Amino acid sequence: MISTKISKSKFKIFIFPLLLLLIAFVYSFYVVNWPQDKIVANYVSYNKILLSLMQHIRLVIVSASFAIAVSVPLGILLTRPKFKVYSNVVVNIVNIGQTIPSLAILALFVGLLGVGFKSGVFALWVYSLLPILNNTIAGILGVEESIMESAKGMGMTKRRILTKIELPLSYPVIMAGIRTAVTINIGTATLAAFIGAGGLGDLIIAGNNINRWQIVILGALLSALLAILTDYLMGLIEARLKNKQ
Amino acid sequence: MNIKKSNFMKGILFSLVLVFIVGTLSACGGGSKDVIKVGSKEFTEQLLLGQITILALEDAGFEVEDKTSVAGSDKVRMALENGDFDLYWEYTGTAWLSQLQHDEPLTDSQEAYEKVRDEDAGNGFSWLQYAPLDNTYTLMMRREDSENLGIKSISDLAKYINENPGEITTAIDHEFSIRPDGYPGIQELYGFSQSEDAIKIMDLGIMYKTLQDGQVEVAMGFATDGRIAAYDLVNLEDDKNFFPVYNASPVVRNDSLEKNPEIKEILEKIAPLLDTDTMTQLNYEVDINEREPEEVAREWLQKEGFID
Repeated sequence: MISTKISKSKFKIFIFPLLLLLIAFVYSFYVVNWPQDKIVANYVSYNKILLSLMQHIRLVIVSASFAIAVSVPLGILLTRPKFKVYSNVVVNIVNIGQTIPSLAILALFVGLLGVGFKSGVFALWVYSLLPILNNTIAGILGVEESIMESAKGMGMTKRRILTKIELPLSYPVIMAGIRTAVTINIGTATLAAFIGAGGLGDLIIAGNNINRWQIVILGALLSALLAILTDYLMGLIEARLKNKQ
Repeated sequence: MNIKKSNFMKGILFSLVLVFIVGTLSACGGGSKDVIKVGSKEFTEQLLLGQITILALEDAGFEVEDKTSVAGSDKVRMALENGDFDLYWEYTGTAWLSQLQHDEPLTDSQEAYEKVRDEDAGNGFSWLQYAPLDNTYTLMMRREDSENLGIKSISDLAKYINENPGEITTAIDHEFSIRPDGYPGIQELYGFSQSEDAIKIMDLGIMYKTLQDGQVEVAMGFATDGRIAAYDLVNLEDDKNFFPVYNASPVVRNDSLEKNPEIKEILEKIAPLLDTDTMTQLNYEVDINEREPEEVAREWLQKEGFID
């Protein structure tokens, strides 16, 4: 009985993502098989769609991984008593990064890192830092004082308090920050096409330049579906982490 | 009502009298030359061509009105049609594809010029002898690469890519990546192909810098852009005539030309000297060295001995 119940709910979880994949596939199938004219026919193919999609996903995954690797440890460090004083300064600096328009960051770093993947990853990385850092700090500082007190009273070391109390209790908040960062990232990554980093932005910009709506919608739809799907999957992970506690 | 009506009639009468007077007066002044209204589009090269024309005509004793810097190919054409301009410089490719609404691009300068000239003769416009400058798409390389690898034309490039696959990366913009008369068409005509990785698609604004920095070996551009001279780049010769031609040519209203036939004589002496390299250099003076178009135009005309 129990096992069927689990498999049923597991199945339910996958209905929504499968629906998204279906929409993506049906529209791609439509454009590839019924292009509006020769230009669309020559430009769009399953290979081209898959290549752009993979470039896009690679940009997001690499930049988000770097952002997590920097922001989470930095957030933990800035909540330690010794470094707490610097937290305002650091958050403000990261904040400035967020206020520069994303296209400007891309343009600025093209000179330094060159056109292509590296500059794209760097700009997206800058953009993902703040939500993750903010949520890490907020999550850890949000752990109730009484719990911390009793942990200290039990004679737990600082290290054990961090790994056994603070981090587990702030996980959902940190995860929410990562989720926000990644979702925004998927949209911003379309701009990377301006500096030769490829991705779904290629479809949107090329389609727009030559005024072919099928291609513009293809790029826009795929990046939107990718964002919704990612948000949903990360929501599932978040829920599971909460349940574990 | 009545008062308004009589005012209206008065107005008409008054304008008629005015037109009569002005008409009589200007007819009296028949001894001196007409005022020639010289127009141009709004970008650097057009401003330069406009100033060159103004200075040359003034030197020949014409009174000239400066009507340069009007944005949009359709706007300048309209200005010529309704007599706001007596003349301006137009590109054969622009006239053929956009103003005369043909859809097959012409790639031979002389043919394009003749077709546009003949068709526009019926519209009341005369196309004077065209300048060799061709402001079309181009593929560029750094001068040292071009010399070291012995690549002077797109055929050379195709040969090199076929013999050394994967060595050349090319920067193009999004429009060029998708237009049938863009990069896909070049590869087909010249018989080479590059992998997706070797073609970097980016914004036109960073293309010249990207090539100068050595991040790519080849980039697309516009043939008379001042940055080609500034960054020491070279245009590869389009030896199979892939790109449509955009030669610049003075277009004059027939009625102005009949009254002032010297215009043809003056401008047809100047046009042959304006080739792509010369124009690039003049554009460079304005865009990179930030000098005034009029000053640059005057200097060039003096150097060539057209004016003192």
